[in-house]
Amino acid sequence: MLLILTLVIVILFSLATGAVRISPAAILSALFGHQPLTPTQQIILLQIRLPRVLASGVVGSALAISGLLFQGLFRNPMADPYIIGSSGGAVLGACIGIFFFSQFSLFGFSATALLAFAGSVATMVLVYFLARSNGRTNVVTLLLAGFAVSTMFGYSSYLFQTFDSNSGASQAILLSWLHGVIGIPGWTQLAVTGVLLLSAIVLAMPLMRRLNTLALGDEYAHQLGLRVEYTRIGIILTGSLLTAAAVSLGGLISFAGLIVPHVARLLLGPNHVRLLPVTALSGAIFLVIADTLARTVLAPTEIPVGILMAFLGGPFFLYLLRKNKRSYLL
Amino acid sequence: MNPLLSFSGVSFSYGTKEVIQSASFDLEAGSCAALIGPNGAGKTTLLRLAAGTLHCRTGRVILNNQPLHALPLTKIARTVALVPQQLDVPFQFTVREVVEQGRTPYLGFLRGPMSEDRIAVDRALKLADVTGLQRRIFNELSGGERQRVKIALGLAQQPKLLLLDEPTQNLDIGRQVELIDLLHFLRGEGITILASIHDLQLIEGNFSSAVLLSPDVPLMKGTPEEILKPSILEKAFNCPPRRHPLLLERIERYTKRAG
Repeated sequence: MLLILTLVIVILFSLATGAVRISPAAILSALFGHQPLTPTQQIILLQIRLPRVLASGVVGSALAISGLLFQGLFRNPMADPYIIGSSGGAVLGACIGIFFFSQFSLFGFSATALLAFAGSVATMVLVYFLARSNGRTNVVTLLLAGFAVSTMFGYSSYLFQTFDSNSGASQAILLSWLHGVIGIPGWTQLAVTGVLLLSAIVLAMPLMRRLNTLALGDEYAHQLGLRVEYTRIGIILTGSLLTAAAVSLGGLISFAGLIVPHVARLLLGPNHVRLLPVTALSGAIFLVIADTLARTVLAPTEIPVGILMAFLGGPFFLYLLRKNKRSYLL
Repeated sequence: MNPLLSFSGVSFSYGTKEVIQSASFDLEAGSCAALIGPNGAGKTTLLRLAAGTLHCRTGRVILNNQPLHALPLTKIARTVALVPQQLDVPFQFTVREVVEQGRTPYLGFLRGPMSEDRIAVDRALKLADVTGLQRRIFNELSGGERQRVKIALGLAQQPKLLLLDEPTQNLDIGRQVELIDLLHFLRGEGITILASIHDLQLIEGNFSSAVLLSPDVPLMKGTPEEILKPSILEKAFNCPPRRHPLLLERIERYTKRAG
């Protein structure tokens, strides 16, 4: 409850800040119909700031839940949403979108967003089947296959840059995309990803108890009557939908999916059933704040939110690394 | 009376390496059996076969008159619990959260734990005498405490058959005695026990029967007195009789009895 309230307040303040300041009180009074905003203010709010703020909330929430799922699956707090290769596929998709179909869009989705989504999901499916043998998947193989595929596809971006026909314009777009930038999405794109996020949360709910059981190890979970392979497919599917949704809105944003579940775990303990709602909400809060900072700290220049996250998240990650020196077994 | 668990002609191999060769034995309900044998003889494999986590290529494992491979996983998990040698838990799970996982076979697709599950967990904690530890972090427990928590986890499954893999390993003599007392107590509660044990001194007087698994002799089952003969142990463990105090002591005892 406290987190929902915090999210609302954070969104309100994020809406208020920017090149043109609109006070939170004015937004509220307009919302409750007391005193309408000026037309300019309305345009700024409804067409620029609100979609962006909501998008960052959706991206943060999706990445955080996805991180929680993969950390539980790999029994390792250092896992993140991109661990099984989705980033590589997303880069490949985005490159094709940026370099060849930059003018194309479908139902408010840019080709880049669509192809990044598709690339992300497709790589995870590919990696899953690469790691599968005799009807089972080995978690370590999954990790290694993910790493290999992700690196392979990830470097394709350099190859694409040589095909650049727009004399560097596309390269600049790609560069900012690779660092994670939450643009101003159309309302349909926002609605579709929002629905995707909500359905993934619904899918994730019954998985949470099973993640607790999987913490005992695959063999133990199997012995307890858990259908380990189905559970794993469910986790990977939900996690990849979430990651793909996030990537299609915000490019590659590092660290958000890694840190948020970890902080939630520090506060609440490792029980996934209790972690899910908290992770979902704090992920949203975290990224709304980060994105607000990204677009205001050096205004009018905008820092890609991914770079801001790297500056904030890097030191935190190192701190965790130092703190958990004891090795985590897979 | 029908045995609770029975192996008939069970062979198992990891790849080409055959670990268990046509093993047959019955385990009566209510018994407390020790599984002994040299390192690498397949004791852990045998326990895994009995718990249904491995499937034998030839022969059959029969639980309660039903072939194990035909039973659904959750049905097996409600009857058999395997306490593994090692349990690594990532993250800071509490003892209670770990033991709660033993209720997994009783939960439905969407149904979470209910009050009956809570009662079963409380009871398992109490039986294994770890109620006082339930809020502690599992990873921060001592070896003896961990062993008892692992047993509580097994007991939360409310099993008829409790399989234990080296439960006395890494325990000091005081904790070993406590563990044996716990096994006696559980047997009194009607739970059948099969435990692999390396400390042969612990077997006589504490276990009702012994199963000997060794690559050098065929599988044998009998009372501890029948199995723990120096001549058998010497061959099964490939151990020169005068080089180990346990065998030496037994040889002396047998010659005294003969004289």
